[in-house]
Amino acid sequence: MTKIPTPALEFADVSRHYLRRDGLGIRALTDLTINIAEGEFVCIVGPSGCGKSTLLQICAGLDQPTSGVVKAQGALVTAPGPDRGVVFQKDSVFPWMTVINNVEYGLKCRGVPSTERRRVARLYLERVGLADVAGAWPNELSGGMLKRVAIASVFANGSPVLLLDEPFGALDYVTKHKIHDVLLDLWDDGGSTVRRTVLFVTHDVDEALTLADRILVMRAGEIVDDLRVDSTRPRTEENLSEPAVIATKRRLLAHLGLAHGEARMLVREAGR
Amino acid sequence: MKSFKRWGFDPFGLLGMVLLIGLWFALVPLVPRSALPTPWGVATTAVQKFFYNKTFAFYGLADVGYFSALVYTVQNVLMATIGGGIVGILAGLVTARSKLVRAVCDPIVLTLGTVPILIASPFLLLWLGTDRMSAVAMVGFYAAVTLYTYAQRAAINLNPVYESAARTYGASRGAMLRDLLLPGTLPEILGGVRIALAGAWGLEAIAELLGAQRGIGKLIESITGASDVESLFAALILLGITAVLFDVVVAFGFARLTRWRGGRGSLTNPR
Repeated sequence: MTKIPTPALEFADVSRHYLRRDGLGIRALTDLTINIAEGEFVCIVGPSGCGKSTLLQICAGLDQPTSGVVKAQGALVTAPGPDRGVVFQKDSVFPWMTVINNVEYGLKCRGVPSTERRRVARLYLERVGLADVAGAWPNELSGGMLKRVAIASVFANGSPVLLLDEPFGALDYVTKHKIHDVLLDLWDDGGSTVRRTVLFVTHDVDEALTLADRILVMRAGEIVDDLRVDSTRPRTEENLSEPAVIATKRRLLAHLGLAHGEARMLVREAGR
Repeated sequence: MKSFKRWGFDPFGLLGMVLLIGLWFALVPLVPRSALPTPWGVATTAVQKFFYNKTFAFYGLADVGYFSALVYTVQNVLMATIGGGIVGILAGLVTARSKLVRAVCDPIVLTLGTVPILIASPFLLLWLGTDRMSAVAMVGFYAAVTLYTYAQRAAINLNPVYESAARTYGASRGAMLRDLLLPGTLPEILGGVRIALAGAWGLEAIAELLGAQRGIGKLIESITGASDVESLFAALILLGITAVLFDVVVAFGFARLTRWRGGRGSLTNPR
């Protein structure tokens, strides 16, 4: 009998309801059930306010579901922990620590000896192309460099699951594409068989198509579509012009209310 | 110019001082000598009476020169600001973590903080006597209230994304206090320390005027009784110079402590 591998992330009937000050209930998530396999790069796409970030916060342990359970590598998620690294939308690099101290901070919290954590931090700074600014203060860096520090920090901490909440939303086109390469390079780890599991929230359809193995589409607190991106890696502009990818893009745009005709019909059929 | 400003020193402040002294010179011929002594006369008095003056001894003062009176005052100000500051900062950081504790503590602390020193002084003199503890307690209390407010506001305004990030790294409560709350709130707290220190000089002088046996305030009280206007001006100016010198040193030290700030970036929560 074949043993079914434990998913890296499991969401079972997860709901999150809020009560507003005026007493009105808000349903941010409704009975979500998702399994994400180990090493998968999953993007969550949806319009603003659809519950993407709430889902990520619950997965990070920074928020609790009203009902349902979340498991990370088989263990129930009840609080934040170093097994789930997070790159936030806002800059979370500590401005009072130098770049290298930021990158090794997670290891310091876990009691890793200073020489070892410095070695690991230098390694990841090298990999994100920031070795020459290891001793700089964060406020001397650009927005793109700060994101690279944040990425290096979570990778250096060794988290098997990485959660990224619209991390590159504020970056310009060129910087964003360069950081995509950095992120994918770290994730791929030179073709390693043990890739980290990534859950990446974005509202940028092209970003999702460039990065993801799988795209979950959210609307009003529910998963309304689950799409595979059938394209080889690394994905170039040519890959993104392949018919299968274009079809996926049309479908995504239709979900976001940005397409007409055939694509919209496809979405309607999927909903039946 | 930029580096001066980074230390909290504004060269234009020096220009203001020059203008003030110029105005003083201009007013001297117009005002009776008994009300406004000459700048030169005040400077000479300050130098001559700096370490020893027999008139001060004649008044029965424990401090027989400006120097020993200033040392006493400086010691009190530093003890009060450091002691009161530690209490105020810790209380501010703790109350920032809980809305309930804040709701209970804020009205008490802030109401007590508005009590004028002239009202508070008799009670402290009654409870603590006329030795230095009374003045230190009074100044320390106002320093604590000032820094309570600054520390609490700094902790509330600290962008919550830093705490979320630290929690996801697995930081313990102690690590969060050491690596996050203290350094993150430091710039605002240090600003509060400078405000508290600036106010402490005036409060200490008043506390000494009201009931101390030593210090520059006590000296001013005795000189005022003898209508020695030159010595009075010298005492006030020496107190002012001491306060400014301490502020420059403190500003320089604080600029070093928060050098990571440079000229950009904000730690506050944009909510």
